[in-house]
Amino acid sequence: MKERWEALPSPPGAIATTVEVWQYRRLLSFIGDRALRKTYRRTVLGWLWLFINPLLPIALRALIFGGLLGLGSNGLPYFLFLLAGTVAWDVFAASLMWGTRALEMHSDLTTQIYHPRAILPLGNMAPAMLNLGLKVGVFVLALLFYAVKDGQWYLRADLSILWAFAALGLAFLFAFAISFFTSIWGESARDIRFGLGQLLSIWYLLTPVLYPMSQVPAEHRQWMLLNPLAIIVETFKWGLFGVGEFYGEVFGITAVAVMLLLAGGSMYFTRSEARTIAER
Amino acid sequence: MLGRSENPSSEIRTWVIAAGTDQGFGARVREVWQYRRILGFFSMKSVQQLYAKTHLGVSWIFIRTLVPLAVGSFAYGSVMQIPSGGVPYLLFFLIGQVPWNCFDGPLIRGSRGIEVNRQLLTKLYVPRIILPLAQMTAGMIEPAIILLTLLGALVYYRVNEGFWYVQLQARLLACVLSVIVVLFLAFSLSLWTSVWQARARDVRFGVRYVLAFWLIFTPVIYPLSVVPPNLRLLMHLNPLTAAIETFRWGMLPGLEHSWAWLGYTAAVTVVIFATGVWHFARTEGATMDAM
Repeated sequence: MKERWEALPSPPGAIATTVEVWQYRRLLSFIGDRALRKTYRRTVLGWLWLFINPLLPIALRALIFGGLLGLGSNGLPYFLFLLAGTVAWDVFAASLMWGTRALEMHSDLTTQIYHPRAILPLGNMAPAMLNLGLKVGVFVLALLFYAVKDGQWYLRADLSILWAFAALGLAFLFAFAISFFTSIWGESARDIRFGLGQLLSIWYLLTPVLYPMSQVPAEHRQWMLLNPLAIIVETFKWGLFGVGEFYGEVFGITAVAVMLLLAGGSMYFTRSEARTIAER
Repeated sequence: MLGRSENPSSEIRTWVIAAGTDQGFGARVREVWQYRRILGFFSMKSVQQLYAKTHLGVSWIFIRTLVPLAVGSFAYGSVMQIPSGGVPYLLFFLIGQVPWNCFDGPLIRGSRGIEVNRQLLTKLYVPRIILPLAQMTAGMIEPAIILLTLLGALVYYRVNEGFWYVQLQARLLACVLSVIVVLFLAFSLSLWTSVWQARARDVRFGVRYVLAFWLIFTPVIYPLSVVPPNLRLLMHLNPLTAAIETFRWGMLPGLEHSWAWLGYTAAVTVVIFATGVWHFARTEGATMDAM
């Protein structure tokens, strides 16, 4: 009896995509490794950038905004406050930047072998996760430092700390959802990456990373709640230290909105991928 | 140099192409002057590139300039409550942004001078020093827009609060001087960076990266008066500090500034310019070959 082979188009849809990405999960680390090599190859400082890039901005900003301008920090040491806010913000910003570049960076791979395209933005976020790990390491060191210096352990030790993890997860999913759109756009228009960088630097100022939510004038505070990142960053800091505002309900609404965006994004992505790949 | 030597006895004209012997500074300036029409052409091109291939066209330049200003003024002024020495923070912020943008934009664009004209350079000769200069023109658009916004803000406060924060006075000339120094500094630095960038593309990100930190250490979003007196000397080592302080002093009443530190800025600029011209001239041949 002869064997019959049939080549079928893969079923579209969010669930099918998720299943396929899971089947191909071994590619994730490969793509992440590739992204790192492509980025830091042929730079003068090379792998040192991995350390300089996340840590130097935090140190300098702490010096100016905490030391010189004396911004409020909910009673925490400003460095710790800024570090925590930056961890949550960077999970979003770095994942989004890397995810957006995914299709463009690995276009050569796409023409060579088959893989679910959605794996590219996800795998390309590996450098952002590496950055996260590095910052968490510095965060633990800073906690120990202040424990010795002030004799106080700032991290809270109850189950509310789970909110911090939820906030990080949501930041990541939000970035993933947006990068479904931006990675497609970024493939046809190169300057989207540059525009995104500018957009993120404005968004950063409107998110309570440098300053606590309590410092926002009361009449503007309700508008800040429209910024999902403000909720995420503030919840993250509340989960870690128990300071600042806690917006349980708004966090829930934000989470639902992010899930909807994620579903919409994956649909948009699967629809557009055939077109953008055919255009090559 | 193209020279013609005639040989009367054989009636055959020979053309000799010899390398230019006059490589001095004066000769370079004269050459740039001879090619001034090319300078105009490249400048126009660089300005057009600002909004070419964008969906929004010219309005994109305005959005890109004004939105960060509005958000920055809100975040730094209303939320972070950074002191601004008695004037509305928006005015303070706009005034600081004018000289800063005369530095930031022209330097970023000037650094790209050689790189973006790569194609053209392999086909025809132009004095290369024209290229960063022409690209800098595009960087002048943003400070011009900010200056217009500043004028608008001044009129707004005149209507609402009844007086002009900036008076028409002789001190405004200090602002002009400050802008000239800053532009000259940006040009001098781009003599270095444009050569590097033609060779390694990641210099471009390096320039942006350095400028982002440079901004933090320059009193643009905050006044120099918030810096403790013992650290001000350190701040003044940054050549932009004195230039921006002078610009503010020229615009707003009741501020202090120091001509001596502006002199320091000018001296640093001259040194960077002189070494920059030397470096540019020394490496331009090798850079062209590398391309």
